[in-house]
Amino acid sequence: MHRRKFIKNTSLGITGILWKPEIFVEETILGHNNKRYRLNTQWSQADVAKNPVNDCHEMVQNSKGNIMLLTNEVKNNVLIYDKSGKLLSTWGSEYPGAHGFTLFNENGQDVMFICDNNLHQVIKTTVDGRVLLKLDYPKETGQYTKPEEYVPTETAIAPNGDIYVADGYGKDFIIQYDAAGRYKNHFGGRGTEAKHLKNAHGVCIDSRNKNNPTLIVTSRQENAFKRFTMAGEYIETIDLPGAWVCRPVIKGDYLYAAVLQSNASQGKKSGFVTILDKNNKVVSNLGGSTPNYTGGKLDEMYQTIKCFDYPHDVCIDDEENMYVAQWNSGKVYPYKLSPIA
Amino acid sequence: MRKYYLGLMVVVISVHLRAQPVFQLAPPLLKYESVFFTSSTVASLQFAMSGTTIHYTLDGKVPTDKDPVYRSPLKFSNSITNLQAKVFADGFLPSETMRAAFIKEGLKIKSVAYTAPNERFKGNGPQTLFDNQGGVTGINSKNWLGFQTDSVELEINLQKKQKISEVLINMLHDYNSWVFLPIQIKLFAFDERQNSFVQAAEMNASQTAFIKESSTVYTILKPRKKITAQKLKLVIYPLQSMPATHPGSGKPAWLFVDEIKVY
Repeated sequence: MHRRKFIKNTSLGITGILWKPEIFVEETILGHNNKRYRLNTQWSQADVAKNPVNDCHEMVQNSKGNIMLLTNEVKNNVLIYDKSGKLLSTWGSEYPGAHGFTLFNENGQDVMFICDNNLHQVIKTTVDGRVLLKLDYPKETGQYTKPEEYVPTETAIAPNGDIYVADGYGKDFIIQYDAAGRYKNHFGGRGTEAKHLKNAHGVCIDSRNKNNPTLIVTSRQENAFKRFTMAGEYIETIDLPGAWVCRPVIKGDYLYAAVLQSNASQGKKSGFVTILDKNNKVVSNLGGSTPNYTGGKLDEMYQTIKCFDYPHDVCIDDEENMYVAQWNSGKVYPYKLSPIA
Repeated sequence: MRKYYLGLMVVVISVHLRAQPVFQLAPPLLKYESVFFTSSTVASLQFAMSGTTIHYTLDGKVPTDKDPVYRSPLKFSNSITNLQAKVFADGFLPSETMRAAFIKEGLKIKSVAYTAPNERFKGNGPQTLFDNQGGVTGINSKNWLGFQTDSVELEINLQKKQKISEVLINMLHDYNSWVFLPIQIKLFAFDERQNSFVQAAEMNASQTAFIKESSTVYTILKPRKKITAQKLKLVIYPLQSMPATHPGSGKPAWLFVDEIKVY
């Protein structure tokens, strides 16, 4: 993480007349090791008067290569951009608590799953917003008596179409349904054992081991990810001390996650982005401390550069660019980060 | 000529790439066992980012890049230490100042009799004032006693009669919660020959810095001459009229008190 300064030896004669010296302050390079990025805070070309955002909760890339953003601004819940930041289209005005946004390729067609915190529902739609299925609060689990107890934050869809819902702001259960939305199973919930969850904010399917796909679930207040079998058996905890991690996002061999805030500096816009390799080792923090392991244990992580406020999700596109959506960060549009070879 | 050409190229590239502001660094990470300690304590600072330095002060002043560079854990044994630290690096705005105070255990206090605090902020009763818990800013923490009166009297009964060199009071400043520092504090010591409390020190708190944030403030009163006593009394006068710029202009402020230490 450094600023390259190659100005000192150049002549000031011409440059001094044309430009003020601060122009020479070059951009910040974020991250560590082989995961370093150049940040562009001005990626979005959306017009704030026409297409405002509120909390930018999650982003995905669809099979056309476009970037889809979910926000709880009901003027336009979904904004669809091309990779250069040009706004192509928008849809949705009925999701006041729009939070989780997952894309699944169903028999060659993109379908979307929205978790709405306020509606206490999961909604499956076409890529342009037509509703296909609604999942209400999971009374079949025997754990819920009314919709308000259920505040879903995320979904993950298995290759067979099974839907896993994380009730991250409700009772912290992960609820499994079949592709048609029939209840199959639930696990997690609160408690003191390793298998329990505290703010199960995200869930994803880890298919990096092709023969043995597993689920990775966020336990945000514990500053950890937890791995489960597809049937919900607890396997292991991946501790991320200091990091309020949001949903895990897997691309290639790596796991990427927005870190809402640093545990040591709560409520102070202290977020960053963390990247783990396939062995679950943190290799890079964008805007965060240099990852270091002491005796096999990861040192506490924290924000170092205030380039993000409260990152809430990351999206990695087909060219390895990263997009960062932020919650409660002055209604900013997403940022784009380009990898440095 | 080639040199100039290169210079211009650099300018063009720099302008093109600079689609971002100059960023500020985050404050350093502070690690310690407890704000309160018996003989000495150790605090460490961290900032795992190459090219940065942490500068710190212990004199209550905001650190500059001329102040000492933090290199290894700091050991404190004074009755009160105000640590402030800030991170600096080329190409970044310096961090906000990290502030912390470390407080030594004082003479043993047997009991405290007080002006009753407000029902909403009564902490854990009188022992809240000498339970070695606290150092946090939240007004709803059980570590604070909140008052909204003309004056607050705290009568401190030590375990035995002994020499007293100073008295420390921990208070809260929280602009948005209408909690302000008092305008005046008086310290009295009980004189057995006169069978009454005699004033030993007085402090007129400065109300000039209305910082729009919350912070815990530690104030020390030093008697003009050495006193020997078992009983002490603090009389604290809360601010009766909040400043004109405050939403509660003219109304009385709250006074929040936590620990008291006698040395």
